[in-house]
Amino acid sequence: MNNRLKVLRAERNWSQAELADRLGVSRQTVNALETGRYDPSLPLAFKIARVFSQPIESIFTDGD
Amino acid sequence: MKDIQATRDGTDRRKPLWPKLLIGAGLGIAGALCGYGVASLGIGSAARWDDEVALFMAAILIAFALITAVTLMVRPRDIPKGCGVLQVIVLGLAGVMFALPIFGPTYMDADLVFGLVAVLLALQSVANVLLWRAADEMLRRVMAETSAVAFWALQGALFLYAAAERLGLVEGITAWGMTGILMGVYLFASVIMSARRGLS
Repeated sequence: MNNRLKVLRAERNWSQAELADRLGVSRQTVNALETGRYDPSLPLAFKIARVFSQPIESIFTDGD
Repeated sequence: MKDIQATRDGTDRRKPLWPKLLIGAGLGIAGALCGYGVASLGIGSAARWDDEVALFMAAILIAFALITAVTLMVRPRDIPKGCGVLQVIVLGLAGVMFALPIFGPTYMDADLVFGLVAVLLALQSVANVLLWRAADEMLRRVMAETSAVAFWALQGALFLYAAAERLGLVEGITAWGMTGILMGVYLFASVIMSARRGLS
């Protein structure tokens, strides 16, 4: 699965640690999400969508 | 859109090499001291193979605990410590538990050593539960995947060995030896699973 997390975070000038704090996860998890090493659970995906005020499908796209 | 290189966490910027060299040198000295200490305790070529495995596991676990502790200490203060402290406790206690049955009887009764190991195991179990509760979903995933991979590998190996033993093709193996091997496989699986998520 691909995502625009890194771009969205950069647009807001947030650090990985700041985003991690907003999401309630570790900085390593944010890094793994951004580099495509980890796909979030549905609850975390919803949380990410809320933090960026965007629908899930505009942040995450199918890798196919 | 802003350049991602400009993010404040600096993850994309080149980091200085000297902290890594310093940590490497420190670990080298710690390894040398550890080896010297173990050698001075009288574990030599006459040691049982299962004790050697257990000692190796103890050294690795304690080294991991020390590396994690040093990483936590040198990390900038504004970065949360996360589950690091609990990981240090879990790794350190596991290392001590592997070393105690080998060195403990030199200084105290076997009953006392066993009691101490049981207490440490209880403490480590509590720390493990706390670690699971404190972990975020990715760390929990890594722990679950590590357990699954280790179980899958070990149950297969155990079955093969048990069949060979039943057929009289190999000698029996001590529970102490099996525990050392189990920890080795678990640690290896843990490193692989962590690396897949960029944690190591």
